[in-house]
Amino acid sequence: MAPKRTVAVAAVMVLAAAGLAACGGGDGGSGPDGKVTMQFWHNATTGPGAAFWEKTVADFQAAHPNVTIEIQQVQNEDLDGKLQTALNSGSAPDIFLQRGGGKMAAMVEAGQLKDITGEISAETKQAVGDAALGTGEVDGKTYAVPVSIMPGGFWYSKNLFAEAGITTPPTTIDELNTAVTKLKAIGAPIALGGKDAWPAAHWYYFFTLRACSQASLDTAAKQKDFSDPCWTKAGNDLKAFADTDPFNDGFLTTSAQQGAGSSAGLVANYRASMELMGAWNPGVLASLTKDQKPMPDLGFFPFPAVPGGQGDPAAIMGGAGGYSCSAEAPKECVQFLDYLVTKNVQVEQYKAFNSLPITKEAQSAVTEDYLKAVLDAYNKAPYVSQWLDTVYGQNVGNALNLGVVNLLAGKGDVAGIITAVNDAAKKD
Amino acid sequence: MTITETGGRARSGGGDVQAPPPLRPRRRGIGWAQRLEIVLLSGPAILMFVGFVIFPVLMAAYYGFYRWKGFGPPTDVVGLDNYVTILQDAAFREALWHNAVIVVLSLVLQAPVALGFALLLNQKIRGQSIIRVLIFVPYVIAEVIVGTAWSLMLQTTGAVNDALRSIGLGRFAADWLADPRLAIWSLMLILTWKYVGFAVILFLAGMQNIPQELSEAAAVDGASYWQTQWRITLPLLGPTLRIWAFLSIIGSLQVFDLVYIIWGQYVASTAGTSTMATYMVVEGRNAGNYGFGNAVAVVLFLISMLIALLYQRFVLRRDTEGALTEGR
Repeated sequence: MAPKRTVAVAAVMVLAAAGLAACGGGDGGSGPDGKVTMQFWHNATTGPGAAFWEKTVADFQAAHPNVTIEIQQVQNEDLDGKLQTALNSGSAPDIFLQRGGGKMAAMVEAGQLKDITGEISAETKQAVGDAALGTGEVDGKTYAVPVSIMPGGFWYSKNLFAEAGITTPPTTIDELNTAVTKLKAIGAPIALGGKDAWPAAHWYYFFTLRACSQASLDTAAKQKDFSDPCWTKAGNDLKAFADTDPFNDGFLTTSAQQGAGSSAGLVANYRASMELMGAWNPGVLASLTKDQKPMPDLGFFPFPAVPGGQGDPAAIMGGAGGYSCSAEAPKECVQFLDYLVTKNVQVEQYKAFNSLPITKEAQSAVTEDYLKAVLDAYNKAPYVSQWLDTVYGQNVGNALNLGVVNLLAGKGDVAGIITAVNDAAKKD
Repeated sequence: MTITETGGRARSGGGDVQAPPPLRPRRRGIGWAQRLEIVLLSGPAILMFVGFVIFPVLMAAYYGFYRWKGFGPPTDVVGLDNYVTILQDAAFREALWHNAVIVVLSLVLQAPVALGFALLLNQKIRGQSIIRVLIFVPYVIAEVIVGTAWSLMLQTTGAVNDALRSIGLGRFAADWLADPRLAIWSLMLILTWKYVGFAVILFLAGMQNIPQELSEAAAVDGASYWQTQWRITLPLLGPTLRIWAFLSIIGSLQVFDLVYIIWGQYVASTAGTSTMATYMVVEGRNAGNYGFGNAVAVVLFLISMLIALLYQRFVLRRDTEGALTEGR
């Protein structure tokens, strides 16, 4: 074994964290002739997504001849680290993908994001709506404009459900249990990518959504206090469900999205019947089918009702993906964000990414059954909670992930999750 | 480590072959040309070493005193809090225990296997070079590839279980990776498979340094093959064995990539294969607690260094003393 590994790992960590100050970079800003150049980072490196951004930027430049936007495509998993380095070294891109939550709050605290509260247009505020705009806010100020919604629920194969003799998607946890028994009989369990932990944690989040009232979710988010008994109830509900052995064999070492053996791959190849996942899943599933085309029989149903909880049975959980401007970005950056939520761009974006647009007027363009089912659930929901790991930040989210994996592996108990989360909260 | 030290002292002036044993004054009086040569030849290496080894270690120590999310410069000094948290964390102690198990099992499993192969390859046998290549190839393959391949094979639906079923041993099919009773052994199997080639190469080199006359003399005296290996080869292989054990221990303390790739960020701790390095990445980078992660790096560094120093002091002393006397 290479003896220098510690040092290498430490070096990488420190260098990545400290940032390579020598990166330099084309920070935006107006020149004397009113010309503006901006750097733009997004994570669509191939296919229609990349083409969408090329076209959107070209159209925006045509309408604003003084603006030049330089696109940089960054591979999704590389984006966070690279962005952090760039932000810390003072050569941040002007416009970039924003995942929100605790990370966004940390960027705000470090003074790295532009406060765009008073700068986004009235049209944008109206088209996006207060609730969705709230996902881009920290302490009542706006730092990101969301462009798409990504609620979670079950993505399932209609053919396998039919084969198992299930006519309507389950609406209660009892119905889900019955359905799983039938589906396991034909060798099609629920797929779960436990190796990546967050897909397993999603199960706990959804049981929490049903167990906890909106008020106690809010309190937990603000005070990082997880003492409300509903958190324990959610754990017990999950434990009871997991004890019925509903997941694919070896789910703890199954990854979520990589290859045919991943949880998404199992669904895409009809070796599992469904997966609890966010609204980005249709695209992931499509990339893993044998012919790399969308699953023809894909369906969606929301997380079923769980008896005895304080949460609304129709509440839904989901994030919103958006874009931010860095602190030093010129005002044209905000104009670009405004442009992203205009109707035509939103429709184009939906077509390119197969994801749900954030604005109501663009949502009418959606044609796929499963996306309509998501929209239906979303619009009926009395309230929408963000993904909990996003709300509570990386640190607590990390502890939640670990606690849930331990619970599912039979190593930890429900109290262990609560303790771990409380301990992690103290580190914040 | 000691090898280079003695090697460096043995010869001070490279060029003059005819010179008698170097005199003390001569060392002090090197000319500017020689100085320039030293700066030119060793300067870049020293710069790289300071920039990519010394500097990061110092920075890690510095960041370890902060609560720091990684955005903007660190501002929130917490003193030794991070270190207290690490030492109190059951997950860290667990990881440390796993590292200790890996250290011991690596030595116990790899040494006999490697010695066997080295003895085999030290004779003139057919297909020697093919065996040598087959044993050494796993060591050369990147850890990412090794990890991915083994994780696919060892999954419940993977090739290993399929193979067991197809030969009628289906009852031995198991959850090789997630079952805590098996996971550490799966890891040891992969580590042994991967690193035994390195040990074999080292041992072979050591064996080839043992003068042929010794075993010839033993043969004349009527010693059997095993007597010769037991009384001559093994004792004379001592220094090589001790150096190999040193490298193996330090490597075992720092196991990261195989575990991280096969078990992922979280499952390693439930399967009982987490190590100090995976703990560092999970609690540092993944949790966004960069200050804490750096403190873990420092702890890992100190533990490795302490063990290295103790090993040099107590195990390698004989070897170094011998070598140093030779150099004087």
